[in-house]
Amino acid sequence: MTYALLITAFVISTCGLVYELIAGTIASYLLGDSITQFSTVIGVYLFSMGIGSFLSRYVEKNVAFTFVQVELLIGLVGGSSASLLFLLFEHVDNFRILLYSLVSIIGILIGLEIPLLMRILKERLDFKELVSQVFTFDYIGALLASLLFPLILVPYLGLIRTSFLFGLFNLGVAIWTIHLFREQLPWKNSLRTTAYALVIALVCGFAFADKLTGIAEASAYPDPVIYSTNTPYQRIVITGSTKDLRLFLNGNLQFSSRDEYRYHEALVHPAMASMNNPQDILVLGGGDGLAVRELLKYPSVRSITLVDLDKRMIDLFKEQVLLTRLNGGSLNDPKVSVIINDAFVWLRSVPKKFDLAIVDFPDPSNYSLGKLYSDTFYKSLKAALKPDGMVVVQSTSPYYAKNSFWCVDKTLASVGFHTTPYHAYVPSFGDWGYVIGSLAPFKPADEKRYPPGLRYVSDATVAQMLCFAKDMLPTVSSVNRLNNQALVHLFESEWSEYVDAH
Amino acid sequence: MSTPISRAMFLRGLAGCGIAVLVSKTYMEWSHPSPKFPCRLLGPSKEIGHLLRNHNVQETGKPTTTTSTRVTIVGGGMGGLSAGWWLKKHGVDDFVILDLEQDVGGNSSCGKNDIGQYPWGAHYVPICNPESVYVRQFFEELGIIQGHNDAGLNIYDELMLCHEPQERLWKDGSFHDGLVPKRGLQKDELEEIARFFKTVVDYRNATGGDGKLAFAIPLDLSSQDPKYLALDKISMEQWLDDNNFRTKPLRWYVNYCCRDDYGSTLTNVSAWAGIHYFAGRRGVAANSEPNSVITWPQGNGFLVEKLKGILSKQIQIGSLVTKVSQEDSRVNTTVMDSKTRAYRAISSDFVIFAAPRFVGARVIANQKFSHSQHLSYAPWMVANISLKNLPDARGLAPAWDNVSYYSDSLGYVMANHQEITTRSKPNVITYYYPLSENDPKVSRQALYTANPEEWSQRIVADLQKMHPTIANEIISMDLWPWGHGMIRPSVGFIWGDVRKQMKDRDGNIVFAHSDMSGMSNFEEAQYHGVEAAKTVLAGLSSG
Ligand SMILES: Cc1cc2nc3c(=O)[nH]c(=O)nc-3n(C[C@H](O)[C@H](O)[C@H](O)COP(=O)(O)OP(=O)(O)OC[C@H]3O[C@@H](n4cnc5c(N)ncnc54)[C@H](O)[C@@H]3O)c2cc1C
Repeated sequence: MTYALLITAFVISTCGLVYELIAGTIASYLLGDSITQFSTVIGVYLFSMGIGSFLSRYVEKNVAFTFVQVELLIGLVGGSSASLLFLLFEHVDNFRILLYSLVSIIGILIGLEIPLLMRILKERLDFKELVSQVFTFDYIGALLASLLFPLILVPYLGLIRTSFLFGLFNLGVAIWTIHLFREQLPWKNSLRTTAYALVIALVCGFAFADKLTGIAEASAYPDPVIYSTNTPYQRIVITGSTKDLRLFLNGNLQFSSRDEYRYHEALVHPAMASMNNPQDILVLGGGDGLAVRELLKYPSVRSITLVDLDKRMIDLFKEQVLLTRLNGGSLNDPKVSVIINDAFVWLRSVPKKFDLAIVDFPDPSNYSLGKLYSDTFYKSLKAALKPDGMVVVQSTSPYYAKNSFWCVDKTLASVGFHTTPYHAYVPSFGDWGYVIGSLAPFKPADEKRYPPGLRYVSDATVAQMLCFAKDMLPTVSSVNRLNNQALVHLFESEWSEYVDAH
Repeated sequence: MSTPISRAMFLRGLAGCGIAVLVSKTYMEWSHPSPKFPCRLLGPSKEIGHLLRNHNVQETGKPTTTTSTRVTIVGGGMGGLSAGWWLKKHGVDDFVILDLEQDVGGNSSCGKNDIGQYPWGAHYVPICNPESVYVRQFFEELGIIQGHNDAGLNIYDELMLCHEPQERLWKDGSFHDGLVPKRGLQKDELEEIARFFKTVVDYRNATGGDGKLAFAIPLDLSSQDPKYLALDKISMEQWLDDNNFRTKPLRWYVNYCCRDDYGSTLTNVSAWAGIHYFAGRRGVAANSEPNSVITWPQGNGFLVEKLKGILSKQIQIGSLVTKVSQEDSRVNTTVMDSKTRAYRAISSDFVIFAAPRFVGARVIANQKFSHSQHLSYAPWMVANISLKNLPDARGLAPAWDNVSYYSDSLGYVMANHQEITTRSKPNVITYYYPLSENDPKVSRQALYTANPEEWSQRIVADLQKMHPTIANEIISMDLWPWGHGMIRPSVGFIWGDVRKQMKDRDGNIVFAHSDMSGMSNFEEAQYHGVEAAKTVLAGLSSG
């Protein structure tokens, strides 16, 4: 039994050091500056161990019982520490508070372990032996952990699995101790049941470590997911409830069937209705066919060319009943020809000229999307227009990302467009912005020119759309170029501010 | 019950730990075999080059035919092609460009696979300085410079200006923006970096007593003021010491730059060359930041392709020049066909010798220049690695140039960075590794003796420091060892006697290779190419 308990000292010290290393590593991964992170984590950890050792004096009776409880807790907290840190990083306001609380809790518990163990062993060994043996095993355990961690655990198991695995070791110690002291322990059965339940939980965590991030994703959708697929370019998720169908690309909401008409009417009609006899229309992005649905309301339209990257997305919106009901089967209309290509690449060799180009790309959240908002791109776009042609560009929110919005405006202006910025309120998005770029100055249409049956756009609402409140005016101004990606930088900082504040 | 621990037991415990670690590591490695991917060893034709040295081809090759041209250009690298470009521009068509390889380009050549194009050596050119007139002329001709704004600044083709993000550095577990270390620095380190940049900017704006720029591109236009030339007599390391630049991040950065541009370390590079890297570039443009660079998926292979288009009639590939000799104001060039090994001779008024200068020592009969043994070249290993996907890493998104603070390599360049597609698709990264730690002769040996497997393992292990899962993403790897990658601007070389003698024409043989500058880059190669062509044009019209 003495040996069994000494081995315990060895196991718990290995686990203890591994948790400390995990916390230090994750902190330097997530926060950078490994020197500071490691030294503060080690400091807080050692200090908490001191608190734990101090607290051990208040454990008066039934030391083995407390020891088992401590082991169970370490198993749970230590075992899930890596996944907690990773999963909560995106969601907590102050990651350091989470980090150091977790480190302190584990530290205190670890600090309790050895004093408790020594008191358990007190009756079996004389003092000199006790101290020497327990600490010997303790330090050998530490050595093992420090070798295993960089050489095997991190490269082969990764941090999340490693922490679950060592949680399981702590639970093993708990179960083992319950077994050794089965004669003296109160609440023996419930301790054992708790231990096994935790074992199952950690084993699941270990087995599904890869899925954990996926789980975090699924919880991001409020409604049930009714369709999801990975195409070579994006992850398409459609969620549905009785009243509302939503499309998400890479986790970002593209539309909600409740109010998408506001977004798409505002995208299409102010420009379309203002034009004299628009015939050939180009739609870039917008593979959902919703903008095309609005365009088909104009009898003058002769051809609509839709360029989208993702064939799977197009097929989905051509074939799925739920979706064709929404876009009115617009993509199957004979006037529509669909081209599967990269918009920028295709634009550089356009075969014909267009009256209006509707640019409905995802927000400029990364560098490859940022290129589709560059002055170089708009130059190519301009070259594809008829002499009095127009473009309209979805330009993110002038409320949440005002400098980004005005950057699109400025960029269009920099290549020689007359720009007309406007915005509309789309409840599921918030206040949303668009910019019309025209080769001749833009004049809004009068009431008669809007097609019948619109629910949102009219000459009166367009007049409102053109008006910007003070809080939507820019504080910086820059042109988005391929070699500065100013828009992506603005967009990142503006949206991250908003997300942080939430 | 008391069981004291004996010393033997303690040691056994320790040994047990060690063994446990070893066993489980071996097991893990065995159960996770490193993924296999095809790895090819390519590279400039070593064999043919060695023919020159080993079999005395100069003596044995008996030409069966002789043709005659006005000018023969030996070597189709940037220098030779630029000489051809200039001759053709000035009405001379009767010349040939001979290169031993199956394609021209030399250090600026490129490759191509299913995924796309990629460079094998040179991959960018900085936007040009006002004094780099030949570069500007060339760029205007190719449409790289599309025009000028009202202030006279060049407007560059935006698809060629390096897109943002340009550079990122892996330090302390994530990537940050730029190559100058930023993360986790102490105040004194930051101050020193700032002081360093201030110092080099002062040099950038400096002119010597002769009114010339202290550091010009091409470097032969630089001031001859002894104050600046003195910098060539000490090493960059010495200069850093003398100016009290001592902190590690700064020295890492400066050393990185020397290795990047010259394939050589602080200890070897002269302070003049080291400072030139920072102070020489003064390019401004209407539509980019100062000191930007232009680049293409195939690197400077783009420029080669354009020149190839212009010079298609003159270029003769697979043509190893084995001997150049002068008789009665004619220059005779003996050429071996690299496939048939048949010899032919070309007789011309002039030879522009645009092959590396160490080759000159082997092929030019009775050469005037006698210091070939003083030329020192840096060996490089370049690998092009096709990836299913570049794994995500913490911090900044993939940039054009991606470097690790902890690696001996220079990191990798994303070949598809300039593409305008949004598709996430396989990509090629070009990995650069100058073997700069040892004497070049020793390193060259190491370059050639290690087999492709060893090299690929080394490279993967290095990349894993930034991207632990990268091995699973590799589709294939091609290796390209450059035995004599680039001339090294060692202490005293640029403004010393050897280089001065080396530039002198030898009768009707005129020299045009970046070697003539003591540092290797596009601007220097082009300058010597054009200058040689000018000398020849003058000779042709007077003769
Ligand atoms: C790994 C690496 C990366 C580089 N990166 C850059 C960069 O990013 N930007 C930059 O500006 N510069 C870079 N350089 C420098 C590059 O060397 C120059 O830009 C330029 O290509 C040099 O051209 P050159 O004509 O002087 O020489 P070379 O390219 O050496 O041309 C010499 C030519 O002569 C041929 N030749 C040799 N012997 C014979 C013979 N006996 N008969 C016939 N032909 C012969 C060779 O095949 C070769 O084609 C890099 C160099 C290396 C090695």
